Amino acid sequence: MLFNSFHFLFFFIVVTSLYFVLPHSKRWLLLLLSSCYFYMAFVPIYILILGFTIVVDYFAGIYIEKALGKRRKFFLVCSLIANIGILCVFKYYNFINDNFSFLLKGFGVSNPIHYLSILLPIGLSFHTFQAMSYTIEVYRGNHQSERHFGIYALYVMFYPQLVAGPIERPQNLLHQFREKHHFDIDRVFAGLKIMIWGFFKKLVIADRLAIYVNDAYNNVAQQNGMTLLLATIFFSFQIYCDFSGYSDIAIGTAKVMGFDLMTNFRRPILSKSTGEFWKRWHISLSTWFKDYLYFPMGGSKVSVPRWYFNLMIVFLISGLWHGANWTYIIWGGINGFYLVFAIITKKYTDKINAFIRINKFPRLKLCSQILVTFLLISFSRIFFRARNVDDALTVIKKIFTFKGTVFNYGTAIILYSVFAILFLLVIEFKKEFYTGSFTLSNHKNFWVRNFYYSFLVIIIVLLGVFDGGQFIYFQF
Amino acid sequence: MSIKNNSFRLFFLKLAAFFCIVFIADFIIGNSLKKFYFKQDSGFDYLTTYAIEKTKADFLIFGSSRAVNIFNCDIFEDQTKLSCYNVGRYGEPVFYHYGVLKAVLKRYTPKIIILSFDAGNFSKNTGDYDKLSVLLPYYENHPEIRPIVELKGPYEKLKLLSKIYSYNSLLLPIVAGNIAFNQNKFLNSNGYIPMDTFFSGSLQTFDYTNERELDSIKINTYKHFIQDCIKSNIQLYIVCPPYMVNQIGIPPSIIAAKKIAQQYNIDFFDYSKDEFYTTKPQLFADYRHLNPQGVKIFSNAIIEKINYKNQFIKANK
Repeated sequence: MLFNSFHFLFFFIVVTSLYFVLPHSKRWLLLLLSSCYFYMAFVPIYILILGFTIVVDYFAGIYIEKALGKRRKFFLVCSLIANIGILCVFKYYNFINDNFSFLLKGFGVSNPIHYLSILLPIGLSFHTFQAMSYTIEVYRGNHQSERHFGIYALYVMFYPQLVAGPIERPQNLLHQFREKHHFDIDRVFAGLKIMIWGFFKKLVIADRLAIYVNDAYNNVAQQNGMTLLLATIFFSFQIYCDFSGYSDIAIGTAKVMGFDLMTNFRRPILSKSTGEFWKRWHISLSTWFKDYLYFPMGGSKVSVPRWYFNLMIVFLISGLWHGANWTYIIWGGINGFYLVFAIITKKYTDKINAFIRINKFPRLKLCSQILVTFLLISFSRIFFRARNVDDALTVIKKIFTFKGTVFNYGTAIILYSVFAILFLLVIEFKKEFYTGSFTLSNHKNFWVRNFYYSFLVIIIVLLGVFDGGQFIYFQF
Repeated sequence: MSIKNNSFRLFFLKLAAFFCIVFIADFIIGNSLKKFYFKQDSGFDYLTTYAIEKTKADFLIFGSSRAVNIFNCDIFEDQTKLSCYNVGRYGEPVFYHYGVLKAVLKRYTPKIIILSFDAGNFSKNTGDYDKLSVLLPYYENHPEIRPIVELKGPYEKLKLLSKIYSYNSLLLPIVAGNIAFNQNKFLNSNGYIPMDTFFSGSLQTFDYTNERELDSIKINTYKHFIQDCIKSNIQLYIVCPPYMVNQIGIPPSIIAAKKIAQQYNIDFFDYSKDEFYTTKPQLFADYRHLNPQGVKIFSNAIIEKINYKNQFIKANK
C-alpha cells in the first residue's frame, strides 16, 4: 500500500480511530494485523519471508540471552546468516550469478546456474536490517530479548516504517508498544502536520521533478549535456523529497498514534561537507552502519590506512545495500572516496582557505561549502540514478561537454519544478538558519497555523502529481 | 477508553476549522480556475474544449500526435468540400478519443470520421489511464464522458469532490491560454499542427515480436468507438499512418485493431510499413510524424481512398 494513495488514507483513518477506541491490551494486535494487511497489499505471498525472519530472530533473541559463552555468538551468527541469506537470495542472487556468468564468459564457458525469476520483496533491506539490529543489541546486552511474540513481530512489521524505514533500534521502539498512549490532541496535530509536509514533498516536489528526470535518464543517448545536467540536479532534489517525504509521513503517522520514530533527515541539502551530509542523510541507516559495521571494524581508532579502508568498506557495502547493481557500488565508492579525500587534503584546504581569506566572509564561505557539497553529492548520484554503468558514463561525458540547450519537455513542467525547489529551499533555509524568527508552521495563533497548512493542502491538490507512483526507496 | 471527551471534541472542532478553510479555498480557487479554463482562446486545452463543445465539422479526425501532425484539415476541406476539424491530442490513447466522440455525438452527428491508429495503441500501460486527466474539467458538465473519466482510477469520484482537482497542474497552461501565449502556434489550424522539420539520424529498429500483452479495456473502448459510429451512421475510417522505422514483426495492436475493424466491416488503412513512405525519409519530421511535404501526399492518398469508397457506395445504391 502506497502512502500516496486513497487506499492508505482510508486505512490510516480506520486504524488510527480503532487504535484509540480499543483498550490498550488489544492495540498491539490491531497494529500487527493492520501491518500485515499493509504489507500484503503489495505482494501477499512475501509476508511468508517476513514471517520467517521474525520467527528466526524472535527465538534467536531468546536463545542469545539464555546462552553463555560461545553459544551466544553461535545463535547470533545463525540469526545473521538467516537474515543475510534471505537478502542474498532475493536481492543479490541474480546479481552474483550475472557477474559469475561474465567471469565465465571470459574463459569461454557458459554459466550452468539458472537465474531466479523472482520479484524483490518490498522494503526487504529495511526490515532485515531492523531485525538484525535487534539480535545484535540483545547479543551486546544492550536490550533484553522480547518474550511476547506479537510485540516482537510488531517491532519488525510496524506499518509506518515497515517498507522504507526509518530503521529503528529495539531500545527506541520496542518499549513504546507496551506504553499506553492517550489521545493527545497536540500530538495528533503535530503528527498530521508532519504528514502534510511529507505529502507536499512527495507529491508537489519529488513526483513533479521525476517527470523531467525520468524522461532524461530513461534515454540518455538522445539527450544533450545541459538536459542531463539539469536532470541530475533535479534528481538530487527529487530523491531527497521522495525519501524524506516518505520518512515524514511515516514519522507523522506513528506520532498520531503516540509513537516516536527516529529522525531520518536533518536538511542534508544544506550540508557544508560530504562528511556532514552523511550525518544528516538517511540517519537511521548511517548510524546502523556506524554502530554495527564501522565501529566493530575499529572505526577511526586504528592506523590511518586502516581507517581509510574502514570508511571505504562501509560505503561500498552501503552502496550494495541500496541495490544489486554496480552503479550502486560505484556510488558508494565515490562517497567513501569523498570522505577519505577530505581527510587527506584537510591540511591543504585549510591552507588554501587561509590564503584566499575566505574566513573573513563567513556567508560566502558557507554558501560555497553548501554548493560544492551539493554538486559533489549530485555527481555521485548520476550512478545512483542511471540504469547501468554505461549510461552513467554517458551522462558524465555529455555533462562535461556542455553542449546543447536544455530540452523543454514543457514550460509548465520546468516552471512548476523550479517553483517547488525554491519553496523547499526557503523552508529549509528558514529551519536551518532562522530558527527563532517568524514562523507560520508553529505560529502562536491557531488560525495562522491553520491557514498555512490549508495552503499546503491546496497547493498539493493544485500542483501535486497524483499519478507519480511509488517511492524510490521501496525498491531497496 | 483513552479518549477524553473534551480533547476529542476539541480535536474535531479544530479539524472542522481546518477543513472549512480548505473547503472555502478549494471552492473559490476551483471555480476561478474553471472560469479561466473555459475562457482560454489558445493552447491544447482550448483545442479540446473546442472539440468537445463547439465544433460542428462534418469531417472529424481523431488520434494522438500522429493525427494532430499528419492530418491537415485544409487539404481535406479542399478535396471533400466538407468542413473538417482535427480533434486529436498529443499523447492521448483511445479513451480520450472515445470521450470526445461521446461529447460530439451528444451535440450533432458528423458525416465522416478518421481514427488515427498507432502501433502500441492497445499495449498495457497504466500511464495511459493517467492521461485521462485532460478530460477532468469536462466531467461536471458532460455526464456522457463520466464513465470514461472514471476509468482513471477507483477514487476519481471522490477526488472530484474537490473543485481544484479537475484543474490539477493546469494553472500555468490556463494563464498561458488566457494571455494568448500559444496563439500563433494554433492559428486557424482547425486542430492540425504541422511539424516543419526533417527526419535526421539513423533508422531505428523496432522489434514487435515480444510486445507486451494487450489491454482489454483499450480494446473494448476501441470497439465502442466503432459501434457508436456505426449506430450514428458515420463513415468511419481507421488509418495507421507510416513510420520511418525498420519494423520486425507486426505490432499486435495493429493485428487486433485490423481484425476488429474487419468484424464490423470498417476500412482499416494500414500504412505503417508502406514502402512508398518508408523509403523517403525526406517526407518525415521524425520517425513517427510526417512533415508538411509528407502530409500533403499522405492526406491526398487517404482522400482518394475515401472518394473511391464513396463512389463505390453511390454506385451500389
